[in-house]
Amino acid sequence: MSEDQPVVFVIDDSPSVRDALDSLIRSVHLNVRSFGSTEEFLLFKRPDAPGCIVLDVRLPGLSGLDFHREMAKSNIDLPVIFITGHGDVPMSVRAIKAGAIEFLPKPFRDQDLLDAIYLGIERDRSRRQASAIVAVLREHFASLTARERQVMLKVASGRPNKQIAAELKLSEVTVKVHRRHVMRKMKAKSLADLVRMADKLSDSAETA
Amino acid sequence: MKLQNLRVMTRAWLLPVAAIVLAAGIFIADTIADLEIAFPAFYTVVVLLAVRFYKKRGVILVGAGCCALTLLSDVLTAASGSSGIGVINTTISLLAIATTTYLAVKIEAEKEAAYEARSQLAHVGRVTTLGELTASIAHEVNQPLAAAVINGNACMRWLAAEPPNLDEARQAAVRLVQDANRASEIIAQVRALTKSSPPKKDWLQINDIILATVTLIESEIRQNQVSLHTDLADDVPPVQGDRVQLQQVILNLVLNALEAMNRTPAGPRELIISSAKNDAKGVRIAVQDSGIGLAPDNLDRLFSAFYTTKPDGMGMGLAISRSIVEAHGGRIWATPNAPRGAVFQFILPVGIEP
Repeated sequence: MSEDQPVVFVIDDSPSVRDALDSLIRSVHLNVRSFGSTEEFLLFKRPDAPGCIVLDVRLPGLSGLDFHREMAKSNIDLPVIFITGHGDVPMSVRAIKAGAIEFLPKPFRDQDLLDAIYLGIERDRSRRQASAIVAVLREHFASLTARERQVMLKVASGRPNKQIAAELKLSEVTVKVHRRHVMRKMKAKSLADLVRMADKLSDSAETA
Repeated sequence: MKLQNLRVMTRAWLLPVAAIVLAAGIFIADTIADLEIAFPAFYTVVVLLAVRFYKKRGVILVGAGCCALTLLSDVLTAASGSSGIGVINTTISLLAIATTTYLAVKIEAEKEAAYEARSQLAHVGRVTTLGELTASIAHEVNQPLAAAVINGNACMRWLAAEPPNLDEARQAAVRLVQDANRASEIIAQVRALTKSSPPKKDWLQINDIILATVTLIESEIRQNQVSLHTDLADDVPPVQGDRVQLQQVILNLVLNALEAMNRTPAGPRELIISSAKNDAKGVRIAVQDSGIGLAPDNLDRLFSAFYTTKPDGMGMGLAISRSIVEAHGGRIWATPNAPRGAVFQFILPVGIEP
């Protein structure tokens, strides 16, 4: 299982359903790991790769729906596709509202499940890319000195050098030097680029 | 067992007559006797008797009537001189009658509620066990069927691959067969469950079971304004079987009869439950109604599972009744009733005395 290959996690307490899903998902050349319970899944060390979870609603212990709600607390961002043998409309509404990709009553069309899996993996991939970019930005931002951070935030909020110098009680020349360092360390190609980076950083700081 | 019928009937006219005679006696005694004797207090007995045959409003009326009689005899005796003690006695008597009436009405209302709850319980119990059973069987069968479908799909995908992966396809096909076998195993288990049900083999008096069942749904019969006659032969031999299951059969037949009669707008609503000796070898129980009756073409299908003529029926009641009766070595059938309605009958074989 290479690092970037997507992985589908199947959690279903019925061994026959689990084996069947395992085979179906492998037949379309996707990696799959199957678990009989959510506890087993949590104990597993997940590879650093995009993926999604195919989750049975009726599970021993914590139900699939409850587990979906608890996932955020355990820092699991994987998209979820529910499968169920006894689904009703309110249950599916609840699941979709909580952010599930799909809610499939058993037996389902294999293509419906595979489509949902592809969508889930795609969604996870873009989420991972977005968070990777933010991680790099954070790293760059962390390499700035305290003064450089001050200058960066003021530049990003559109203030001219002269005003920044006055506000920070520095000479305009010093501000220019800091600003050049900021552009280099943040790997910003233009002022607009730097403004976008500052936005992304403050967005991720808010959501984190 | 004809006795049982007679007893109910005698009690029906005896009580009101006794109450009227008693009230008259108290009135005469109260009017002619000394004022200082609190005769009117005995009116409470009349009120307590009234509870046995009247509903809430009737009991209140009887209570009020007793108060009126007390006051009337007071007025009549007042002509011959009244005393302070007389007034106190009258007041105490009136209070006693009023209190008794109040308590009697309250107790009656609670009894009614208890009856209601019990018959609802019987009804709900019947419906939910069936509903839950079906839901759980459906889920148990659905699980392997779902796995079979997925395995079939996977098998086809392995075969369609370039080049086809025959090993994986074969494994998927093997699992598919296992899943399908598992589904039919579950169905076989369910069938076995309904077939070999009565492990209990008690000696039972079928008349006792009929009467117990009738008690359970008395208020439902009353509410549907149905007149019930029990015609129980007193020479029926005991049968061997499961009391609860046989009660379930009778309950099913009676509830069906009530529903059938509810769907006829006019005409008398008569329900007759009878028991009789069926030659030397069996006991025959019949539930006869004057409801909408049966279409002749449906007679053989009536007892099949999931067959129903009711708008919201599940088609399980008669199917279960049949499997219970057959498990007891008997048989059940239906015939049209004259001039209208249906008769459902079942025969249970008489056990050999131990």
